[in-house]
Amino acid sequence: MSNYDVIVVGAGNGGLMAAANTSKAGLKTLLLEKHNLPGGCATSFRRGRFEFEPSLHELCGVGTKEQPGEIFGLFDELGAKVDWRYEDTMYRTIVKGENGYDVTVKAKREPFYDSMEEAVPGCREKVKAFIELNDKVDEALAYVDRKKGNPNPLVMVLKHSDFMRVCAHSTEEILDALEMPDKAKKILTTYWGYLGVPTDELNCMHFLSMLTSYMDNCAAMPYKRSHELSLALCDVIYKNGGEIRYNSEVTEFLYNEDGSIAGVVANGEKLYAKEVVSNVIANNVFTRSKGVKLPERDVKLAKSREFGISVATVYLGLDKSAEELGIKDYTVFIANNGDPRTQDDNRVNDGFYIVNCLNNVIPDSSPEGTCTLFFTTLIYGSDLPKDLKPQDYKKYKNDLAERLILDYEKTMGVNVMDHIEEISVATPVTFARYLGTPDGTIYGYKNAGWDNVIMRTTAQGKDNNVKGLSFVGGHGVRGDGYSSAYSTGATQGKVVVKKLKGDK
Amino acid sequence: MASAIKKINPADFLKLEPTREKKIAQAEYGDITPETAYLPNKLAKALHPEVQYLVVKEVIAFSNDVKTYTLVADKEAGTENVAYFSAGQYLSVRLKVGDIEITRPYSISSCPKDALDGFYQLTIKRVDGGLASEYILDNWAEGTKVSVSAPQGTFTYERLRDVKTVIGVAGGSGITPFRALAKSIANGDEDFNLVLLYGSRTQADILFLDEFKAIEKECDKFKLVNVLSNEKVEGEESGFITAELIKKYAPEGNYSIFLCGPQAMYTFVDKEIETLGLRQKFIRHELFGEYRNPEKLEDYPEDIVGKTFKLTVSVCGVTKVVECNANETMLNAMERGGILAPANCRSGECGWCHSRLVSGNVYVPKRGDGRRLADLDFGYVHPCMTFALSDCEIDVPPFKA
Repeated sequence: MSNYDVIVVGAGNGGLMAAANTSKAGLKTLLLEKHNLPGGCATSFRRGRFEFEPSLHELCGVGTKEQPGEIFGLFDELGAKVDWRYEDTMYRTIVKGENGYDVTVKAKREPFYDSMEEAVPGCREKVKAFIELNDKVDEALAYVDRKKGNPNPLVMVLKHSDFMRVCAHSTEEILDALEMPDKAKKILTTYWGYLGVPTDELNCMHFLSMLTSYMDNCAAMPYKRSHELSLALCDVIYKNGGEIRYNSEVTEFLYNEDGSIAGVVANGEKLYAKEVVSNVIANNVFTRSKGVKLPERDVKLAKSREFGISVATVYLGLDKSAEELGIKDYTVFIANNGDPRTQDDNRVNDGFYIVNCLNNVIPDSSPEGTCTLFFTTLIYGSDLPKDLKPQDYKKYKNDLAERLILDYEKTMGVNVMDHIEEISVATPVTFARYLGTPDGTIYGYKNAGWDNVIMRTTAQGKDNNVKGLSFVGGHGVRGDGYSSAYSTGATQGKVVVKKLKGDK
Repeated sequence: MASAIKKINPADFLKLEPTREKKIAQAEYGDITPETAYLPNKLAKALHPEVQYLVVKEVIAFSNDVKTYTLVADKEAGTENVAYFSAGQYLSVRLKVGDIEITRPYSISSCPKDALDGFYQLTIKRVDGGLASEYILDNWAEGTKVSVSAPQGTFTYERLRDVKTVIGVAGGSGITPFRALAKSIANGDEDFNLVLLYGSRTQADILFLDEFKAIEKECDKFKLVNVLSNEKVEGEESGFITAELIKKYAPEGNYSIFLCGPQAMYTFVDKEIETLGLRQKFIRHELFGEYRNPEKLEDYPEDIVGKTFKLTVSVCGVTKVVECNANETMLNAMERGGILAPANCRSGECGWCHSRLVSGNVYVPKRGDGRRLADLDFGYVHPCMTFALSDCEIDVPPFKA
């Protein structure tokens, strides 16, 4: 029988960060991963002479040594070595057609406002008012923090009413209240896809905090693809005496008689721990929990939630450099219509997609004279054709890739097709395979409406009622995205440390 | 400006929690739908099963040294259907030879349509001293139970990447993936022209000759060119597969070259192809295979030849020490020492054996170094393409079955 202080199930971003924190604090930690590599989505894959970034577009909240953001701090305090690279353009957004536009938006506040003003003359002050709502959110959160989570309601209403407004309404509602011009609204909300929820359902505070995080800290990415991030965290775990087991899927969760968690089963072996941190979505934990009466609320919560978005992605290794091909941007958003709801409604018909060329941030991310392109389009697992059979799957992937590549060529006026040296296509099927999530979701639960980030935060004390079991990852409190998963992973790791070690 | 937001009611904040609570309360307490019920998960499982249990249904002997095995799903063992694949892919076969267990990749020589009809074929040719091929040829018979991986590999035709005509270069048993490709062209599953330059020693060594002739007859997208190295026969090419020969059969304009054969063939033909000045995207190799003589490579350290090292292997916290000869891969040493380690391609490429090198110095041949960049910084190796230069310690994932 093996005993641990902490067993972390799943080596995704949340699991890695949690395990790194618990092992760093001296807790006997075991990290179990069903795949043969760490990271979940945060990995890389090789085809020929290319090493592709599979999922990361750009990390927000990193910052530099001089001006560290949250994420830089999380890696730095663990001693995890990452060679960060930065991009000071936020995005280029192209909407095709008569009322279309082609706008490039810069990072940092003033350049951002300048970019917006240039695209939509007269919008500057409104954009500024919108962005600065985030500062009011920060002020309110600092106050709530000072009051240790028990703020005086009167102070909240009198001093922090804008915080309450932003938290209680969708991005669209707030932008409309500010009378943001339609075009400015569309350009401003280009990033909605990073959260997978169109702006009329997307909580305004959630969107603002992401947007300003990219704006203030600039986007960052690791020099050697996301595999570098994951191995850097594994390194922390090993150096602090933690253990990692790959090819070790947890097939069952074990409980004590009082319903608290006892451990897990992996490779047929029973492994026990005082605390189990699951990077695996609650639905999969509960379906692997036999002979225990699970708390009613936890089951009802899992049953009432909607799954978040997944993606279809196309990875191309091209045998000409970005410069030779005339590809100048790192991130381009391309859509038929600038409205997020319309984009989401038409997602299966390539309503919008994102194209990244990593060489424009990291020139040597592929061999000299070559470059890579990474296409992303949003799609739910349930969007796959209902009658899709294994034998039709390759055609489905190729057709999807072809549509995106041809549209990109036409929109950007570049020749891609003739230079494809390597191609790989991923869909919700791929993510179902590697992540094991229901419906191949990469974003856990849909972070919208009654289950948005604010709602989750306010219910934190009520949501998880199995003693000793906690959750991290894209399905966690802060939802999807690298930064959010790292953040919730670190927070939960520290909660576990505090629980098991006290304030020592 | 900022006052515009005042028309939004901050008191809505107070409604948040009750809304969520009400929604959750409405759900029913009961079973949660398992992930296996969703379409993406079903497809993922059908296309990429962890393991496939098969049984030999038929043995077709070409000679004592070459046999084709027809394998079907072993329903008793829990495999309902053989997984669909792309023509050109391989299976990693798990074998128990004497006291030890090993794996070997073999191209599927049947076509994907056959998989829909319930079977795969593997064509095995005897390699002198080849542990796996000798074992299979001498032991597999009708009814033999076999466990294999999901279909793997990227030696496939990709319509968005490859041009319309492929010159196939096959040597010896390297013909097997081309049989799958040719059959798929004939039945319409693949749409490209394949000119197959097939190197054999003598006419008697040509595999599937009648089949290829039949496909050639019924399908104008396929052409077979036999290249005989050890005899001259009227109407057949003789010698080796040279740049001249490729040019002779190549179409006007762009064409791709797909190569599958023994290492010696790659070494020879690669040099020939170099003179053709083709872009790299038009040249695609099947797996290189295991290196057996690292000392023949230029950058291999001289003073290591002939030495034997201690390899300390840790799998899920259980440690075992095995001996590792300087000229064998760490994977091979582990298998000889009774450790079944995860492996698929055995050529350094697929990364399935990805392991952490805890201590020691190693040599990795450049050609087979399929590691990711960060692996080098943090000390990870692919044991199937790694040679010890000192006593080493590695942390290896368990074999997944």
